[in-house]
Amino acid sequence: MTARWRYILQEAFVGLRRNLMMTFAVILSVTVSLTLLGASLLLSQQVDLATDDWVGRVEVSIFLCDDRTCPAITAEQQEELREELEAQEVVDEVMYESKQEAYDRFTDLFEDQPSLVESIDPDTLPASFRVSLVNPNLFNVIRDQFAAYPGVEEVVDQREVLNQFLRFTNVVRNAALVVAVIQLVAAGVLIANTIRVAAFARREQTSVMRLVGASNWYIRLPFVLEGVIAGVIGALVSWGLLYGTVPRVASNLAQDIELMPFIGAAQVLAVGPWLLLAGGGIAAVSSIVALRRFLDI
Amino acid sequence: MIKLQNVTKTYKRGRDDEVVALNDVSIDISKGEFVFVVGPSGSGKSTFMKILTREQLAESGDVWVAGKDLASLRAWKVPLLRREIGYVFQDFKLLSNKSVYENVSFALEVIGSSRREIEQRVPEVLELVGLSDKAGAQPHELSGGQQQRVSIARAFVNQPRILLCDEPTGNLDPSTSVGLMKLLDRINRTGATVVMATHDQHIVDSMRRRVIELENGSVVRDQSRGVYGYGG
Repeated sequence: MTARWRYILQEAFVGLRRNLMMTFAVILSVTVSLTLLGASLLLSQQVDLATDDWVGRVEVSIFLCDDRTCPAITAEQQEELREELEAQEVVDEVMYESKQEAYDRFTDLFEDQPSLVESIDPDTLPASFRVSLVNPNLFNVIRDQFAAYPGVEEVVDQREVLNQFLRFTNVVRNAALVVAVIQLVAAGVLIANTIRVAAFARREQTSVMRLVGASNWYIRLPFVLEGVIAGVIGALVSWGLLYGTVPRVASNLAQDIELMPFIGAAQVLAVGPWLLLAGGGIAAVSSIVALRRFLDI
Repeated sequence: MIKLQNVTKTYKRGRDDEVVALNDVSIDISKGEFVFVVGPSGSGKSTFMKILTREQLAESGDVWVAGKDLASLRAWKVPLLRREIGYVFQDFKLLSNKSVYENVSFALEVIGSSRREIEQRVPEVLELVGLSDKAGAQPHELSGGQQQRVSIARAFVNQPRILLCDEPTGNLDPSTSVGLMKLLDRINRTGATVVMATHDQHIVDSMRRRVIELENGSVVRDQSRGVYGYGG
């Protein structure tokens, strides 16, 4: 490390130490805001994961009888049902999913939850026609027409199940996002103020530096770095908090809510760089803005 | 080395109230000159100095310092201009948490000088100002005259072409001031251009160098080998 960088880092740490209470307040407020930000990012990922894998493009599932609750559908009935479905104008595409395919998809989806997979065997899940509609709002047409069809156990609007879930998660995510942004702005203002105090405390030194011809970035960098270090520490703490809590909460929820995949530690780790970027970025911007007038040439 | 041509600078004091700090000032100072700038408080001496270091920008007129046109000088190049200028304050402005040696070496460190350069130049300049034996002392352990010598050492350590001194003897007693002027004279003899704003009649009269007198922002006298004032 060159002498110049040693000076810059040294000054930054001197500033952080000299103003320990403010440093602590900055770290705390960055931590709170980034924890909320991270949580809302992870919630978005959770929603994507659940919607993508859970129902995919399928909007209506027509489950077929298999002798459990109603007499099993015959091959002829099944062929007839397919033709009828494909003849419907509102139907875009029809896919058949056999019992084995349903089982395979289920085991893929829940490979992280072996107890769930063990609870079923290839015969448990019903075969189904998975139907996508030209206009998803026309679900009623399909239900009215096929619910009483011979060999049909149940017609389910997957979208409705999904929508309830989405409505709830969107509210939670947006609330977290709004609070995170407000908190982030507050953190930015706090950082700007802290840096201004630090610059004021060292104004004799910086005025000497200016007059002997130190470059602007050389004068400012210690202060900017002081803010960025505090911001990054806050980001690291929030990352740690999320890493310590989210996978645990997710696995608890996975036990209560069956049939839904959950995010895990990998996603929390992946969100870390974004938190660091946000923490460091907001601190750098606030510090630079704070110094703009104070340390003008 | 320093050239002002029809330079005007006004400050706004209220909405309609303007103070003329420099009014159509033209001054030409050659390389190696020793110049006193005299005049009562508010005559424009401080503004003149601030314009030379580009702390203030002239409103109209041309300012050339060390070969640079200050009106068109980009902000990021201002530090390079200031490396050509050493600045000495009335109140020294030494950093109280640093030793004499550190105060001087700081000026080189922050402009990116090499360690070798620093280790060579700092002892040299401390010897020039006669403070070799005080290198490890803290500023508060020194007399006023000694502190001002440290501040001159700091201003001159990177061998600037111009030394600007703003009332350097203002806080010193007369006998100490004489010693300080000998030092500035020695620095001037090394080829540096020295510009000194002062109220100190005694010094100006005894040195008999060029005197530029400002009054209400205008040059009222520019005299080689001059004295402080006509009236004595």
